[in-house]
Amino acid sequence: MVPKFKPSPLRIRSFCTKTVQQNPHHWPIKQITKTNFNESLSEIKNHISSSDFIAVSLQNTGSFSSPWHRVSTFDTPETAYLKAKFAAERFQILQFAICPFKLQASKVIAYPYNFHLFPRDELKMGMPSYSFTCQTSYLTAMAKEGFDFNTCIYDGISYLSEAQESTVKVRMGNPMAVDHATKSSSSPALSVADTVFIERVRSRVKHWKNACTDSDIKTEAALVTSLRKIVLGGEQFGSRPSMTIDVCSERQVQLVLKMLEDFSDVLVPLIIPAKGGGTQAVRAVLTSSDEDKDLLKRELQTFEFEQNKRVRGFREVIDLISASQKPLVAHNSLNDFTFIHSKFLAPLPPNMNEFICSLRLAFPQVIDVNYLLKDIGPVKKMTNISATIAYLKNRFFAPIEMEIPNQANENEGKIHGHNVVKICQLFGKLCSILKITPDAIESSDDFLASAINRYANIFYSLPGSSQEPTNEEIRGWTNDKRKVSCEDVVFLWGFRERISAGILKNMLQGSHEVFAEAFNVRMVDRSCAIVVFGKPGLSNTFKNVMNSKAVSGPLREMVSDGLKAAGYETYQRVCSSGLWESALADALDKTLASHNCLSEAAYETKQSEIYLSNELINLAEL
Amino acid sequence: MKKRWPITILYRAFSSSTTSTTASFPLKHVKKSNFDSALSSLRHHVQAADFVAIDLEMTGITSAPWRDSFEFDRFDVRYLKVKDSAEKFAVIQFGVSPFRWDPLKQSFITHPHNFFIFQRQELPLDGAAYEFLCQTTSMDFLAKYQFDFNACIHEGVSYLSREQEDKALKHVNSTYEDESLDSWHSLKEIRDTHLFNIPDILFAERMKDRLSEWLGGLLRNRDGGSEVQPSFNDSKQQFETIFFKMRPAISLNGFTSHQLLLIQLVVRKHFKDLAYLRVSGENSCSQNVIVYIESESDKKMLMKEVKDEQKIDAEMSIKASIGFRHVIDLLSSEKKLIVGHNCFLDIAHIYSKFFGPLPLTAEEFISSVNKYFPHIIDTKILLNSNSILQQRMKKSSTSLSKAFSVLCPQIALGSKSTHLALQPSVKVEVEVDDIRSSNWNSGVKHEAGYDAFMTGCVFAQACSHLGIDFKQQSSSENLAHNEKLREHVNLLYLSWTNGEIINLSTGNRTSESLASNKRKNHYPKILFECIVIVWGFPSHLKAWDIRECISKVYGPTSVISVYHVDETAVFVQFSRAEMVSKFLDLKGSLDRNNDPISVLHPLAKLLEGGNTCAASYETYKEICSSTVSKVLFADQAKAVGIKWKTKLVESSDKTKEHESLRKVKAVNSDPSCGERTKNKNFDDHPCSFNGSRRTNTNLPIELLSEIFEELTDCENISHRAAVCMSFMASCHQNFLPSTFISSSISFLHCSHNHHQNLALSSNVQTHKHHQMFLPQLKESRCASTSYDGWLLTLPFDRKQNLYLSNPFARDRIKLGTAQALRVVTSISPLDPKCVVLDIHK
Repeated sequence: MVPKFKPSPLRIRSFCTKTVQQNPHHWPIKQITKTNFNESLSEIKNHISSSDFIAVSLQNTGSFSSPWHRVSTFDTPETAYLKAKFAAERFQILQFAICPFKLQASKVIAYPYNFHLFPRDELKMGMPSYSFTCQTSYLTAMAKEGFDFNTCIYDGISYLSEAQESTVKVRMGNPMAVDHATKSSSSPALSVADTVFIERVRSRVKHWKNACTDSDIKTEAALVTSLRKIVLGGEQFGSRPSMTIDVCSERQVQLVLKMLEDFSDVLVPLIIPAKGGGTQAVRAVLTSSDEDKDLLKRELQTFEFEQNKRVRGFREVIDLISASQKPLVAHNSLNDFTFIHSKFLAPLPPNMNEFICSLRLAFPQVIDVNYLLKDIGPVKKMTNISATIAYLKNRFFAPIEMEIPNQANENEGKIHGHNVVKICQLFGKLCSILKITPDAIESSDDFLASAINRYANIFYSLPGSSQEPTNEEIRGWTNDKRKVSCEDVVFLWGFRERISAGILKNMLQGSHEVFAEAFNVRMVDRSCAIVVFGKPGLSNTFKNVMNSKAVSGPLREMVSDGLKAAGYETYQRVCSSGLWESALADALDKTLASHNCLSEAAYETKQSEIYLSNELINLAEL
Repeated sequence: MKKRWPITILYRAFSSSTTSTTASFPLKHVKKSNFDSALSSLRHHVQAADFVAIDLEMTGITSAPWRDSFEFDRFDVRYLKVKDSAEKFAVIQFGVSPFRWDPLKQSFITHPHNFFIFQRQELPLDGAAYEFLCQTTSMDFLAKYQFDFNACIHEGVSYLSREQEDKALKHVNSTYEDESLDSWHSLKEIRDTHLFNIPDILFAERMKDRLSEWLGGLLRNRDGGSEVQPSFNDSKQQFETIFFKMRPAISLNGFTSHQLLLIQLVVRKHFKDLAYLRVSGENSCSQNVIVYIESESDKKMLMKEVKDEQKIDAEMSIKASIGFRHVIDLLSSEKKLIVGHNCFLDIAHIYSKFFGPLPLTAEEFISSVNKYFPHIIDTKILLNSNSILQQRMKKSSTSLSKAFSVLCPQIALGSKSTHLALQPSVKVEVEVDDIRSSNWNSGVKHEAGYDAFMTGCVFAQACSHLGIDFKQQSSSENLAHNEKLREHVNLLYLSWTNGEIINLSTGNRTSESLASNKRKNHYPKILFECIVIVWGFPSHLKAWDIRECISKVYGPTSVISVYHVDETAVFVQFSRAEMVSKFLDLKGSLDRNNDPISVLHPLAKLLEGGNTCAASYETYKEICSSTVSKVLFADQAKAVGIKWKTKLVESSDKTKEHESLRKVKAVNSDPSCGERTKNKNFDDHPCSFNGSRRTNTNLPIELLSEIFEELTDCENISHRAAVCMSFMASCHQNFLPSTFISSSISFLHCSHNHHQNLALSSNVQTHKHHQMFLPQLKESRCASTSYDGWLLTLPFDRKQNLYLSNPFARDRIKLGTAQALRVVTSISPLDPKCVVLDIHK
């Protein structure tokens, strides 16, 4: 299991390099705010294009509000996604750390950046977000790490998502140059009204053009010039004369554009979009020559480019990453990429498949280090990167040197974003343990691609294949982990609060014959538990018993006290309908109530399987 | 970073000093570190005060644009909006400024305090995590005024509301009392587990030996003298002999939790006179001890002792986390006059943060607020309601900073401004810690402490203008009972936008008296039963379009106003209440029917896209009361769980029937209907009055054909659809081949926009244009007219088929692949003799 490494010349050389930093607290991570954002962009761009991988890590204002909102072992990928979606839509990213890095032998060369973000409404359009939720515990934890909220809010970089940018473009009403897509190729038949319209506009344009180009007029008195201007309706567009032609339909736009083609030697048509979409007017700009025409077109392009850049803000970096098509490395990818998708791409789609498709368009390869860890073998899922690194350090000999050639930060501020470097480090370690070695990277890109592809784009990985013995023993679990079909899971609620799983199990054991067979009880939160039946079909028997009048004995007693049961499909419905009550019991009750009025919706639970493992529902945390 | 805060604060304090000569020392900022001392001094100041001015800074005001305050807010809706705001946003700064009249100095003395508050989750309470909403624009606004977020989050004073405190105490009581004696510690889950593996068994044996060794030594020691046991305290210090509650004990250090579990099992199994305990030691980390006990009763005593101590600890920590609420309790118990500026929202925040969840209705809220704070004065109302003050204000705006600079120029602008000296002014002296100044100006607006100070100054000055002479006011007399103030006490703006005032002591609501005047009433009196809320309509429709659309059906005077709630929703105010149910009925029937006629109905424009929903004002209230806050109203309605498209106003069947009949009449007498006389004939026909709308389809065919002959105008067809859908649908089935359509309608142009699938039709006789929604046009580029109202649709893809489609019947005739440029038909395509001529390129 322990891979052996020959000391490579590179390693020896790196001992002499001063930039090798092993102490995480001295990692020079470049802190980027509004003030130094623009100047850093080109540097970041270079680092991204020369890197092998890009690690990302987010600092959000919260994750889950109630214990059951957390992605847990009893979630299918679909419900896990819905939970992540709910969080991503409410909370905000305050820090976005990216780290383009290269793997060379046992060395990681990393260029970490930590961006401070704040969703400032720069355009006064309620974008990028009208409001966001903060969890006090998250803010307090950030405060303990010395996070500077003032820097973040005063100086954070704003952004707009791709979807927002396109709506903003329309609303800002900037003139757009006419491209061929907007010109209709078909030539619709002209009605009489159309002909009249065209001729009227044509004569107007002709007069105006003649007036502008006629050199004689320049000698006229100022009064006459201004009068002429009023009569002809001429305007200035920048330094060039222009004329606005009002239109009332898209057809008229086409007609005007077609008519203006006759003047294409000197006139450049621009489309002025209306605020609510569609076209408000067509503006014809007069140019003096072909060169001038090109110049105008270039000017328009740079103007648009500059404005877009201003509007996009931090998304410029996301676009750079996306354009580079480099594989991304993350630690908790479902969580991070739902955030990234909702803040920088578009609103999150309603289900996991669409999400993955949509995300893949922007980021073709996303690697979750947690998933790599799974291949290592008996590793329990660790949420903490440092703990994972320490764990690997104890078990495997895979020294990784971190080289961070960044200049140390000039400002005295605290350095944030260590996680992203730790992810690089962990990824480096894992690559060397799993023998996705750096040599392979250099020798054959295909090999790397296939090796990486094995791990890419798995957003919801099931926990490791076996567990270490844990200290919190929950009685009745014989196997540490089993695959459980959703069909065998029943949600149970309506019992006394603060009951333990053990007591509940005891209570159930004698209550009905379905509990004669092996079954397990697990608390989801204080209000709700899940019961897992060992034998298929018993769950249905139990649900039927609960709903029938024939319920008798101790179970009847419990039902009279308010005990309720529902199958996994009810839970899925809770997640998909967005009833995120703070107690799962309330959410289940509400779903059942609203569902009773509607027709039975078919939920396919048969195929989906969830894992139940001993260790992930930690009662102390609930 | 920490070192930067004082700099920031100083910067804020001194930034203004460059422009004014007034004394400017910083506000008294209260944070975690100086809270206790500040509280005790504040206690004295409040007790001595004549009134206390307050101000709050929040992380936001409205959780969604449509939750903003509108003219169309009924008082209960207004309260729901305030409630939503107070529940979602956090208070991050609380300014308290007690004002005391000093008869010697002939001036007020005030001590402005600026509390940074931030609720942390200090107690292990169950349930949801504490969270709050931030409105981006509000945060940006605070940032603009250099608000120190670090001071707030790092060092803000935490608090517990009364309700949270009660809950926590109950929780403690139940954990320490209800359950059996030894179940309170976390070890109750442990039962006799079998030791599974060899290492565990060996470890357990070792522990057993060591414990019996210790116990033996202990007993020997007690019996025989002073022999010490240095050998037992091993090198790792894992076993440390201590005294626990006057009993010898071992403190266990450095074991893993699994090992501790095994030790616990060993103790239980083998040692009757040892007890294993997990207690919370100093600095809140738990400590595992094994205590020697003499007997079972001794054990019980020990347990009780430990339990009581822990309970007291837990209660102490709850008391300690009350934090800032002490200030609120102080204000409430002293029953001082509270002065705020436009403070209804502030009071709601205070209630929800420091007392408990806000009641569901405004009435309940008002009565309980009055219990906690018997006297509240809102300076904004005071300034607006009194004519003397209005004169003083010179009709300027009543925003706090404006009022302050107009009423208290000597403070606001510094003593230099002499031209205002004529105005009698109340002197206010500020005391911060030991520094005093009579013209203090910290210069930082929107800092709660300073805003509270300004509010107090405005109030003091306003009182003096009202003729209250502080010199003669005895200190014992409560200012709130002063005759000149009596009519202003406990009045709050429920909504500043429509000037609705609520009296906290009586619960009466009044509109702002006419004397107050500056307010122009843009809107006529709003009757909420005349209002329909419509949402989910096509986004390009603006208020004017919607108004026009509805006016076409009910006449030009039917709609009083259309008001945008946000871009996805509008209020439509009808002139009469019964039109609400009429409109909803009509919309409901249009939703249900999918026949071609609904396409031509004037309302079709509004219903385009199929997502348009409408309901009465009560539904709007229901949506407002939801805890969800989506940015767009249409999304909110969906999130609230509204699945219907139209919510009819509930009324008995009889009235409905009656109404539907009246509707027939009303529409027919609509002046926009072309041929009135003919329609009248139709109305006079006895059959049309038989039975309700739904049975109209059963009209005899002859009658229908007779009616049909009258209908020669496309527009009339649209209006007929308003009369009854099913009726028109049946007409169509029976008479589609008739010639009226071909004679009157020609299709001019179909939209190229394949998302919209619109066709523009024109009536040759009236020269009027109509838009039609035609899903068949999907994927088709262009369509042109050929014959009889049939459209030729050209697909985008040349390989796909050409069709002739009939927009009325939704019929399609396949013509083959699109090689043709034009298609000419000889006669109606329905005729078997029809010949299609297609011209190839």
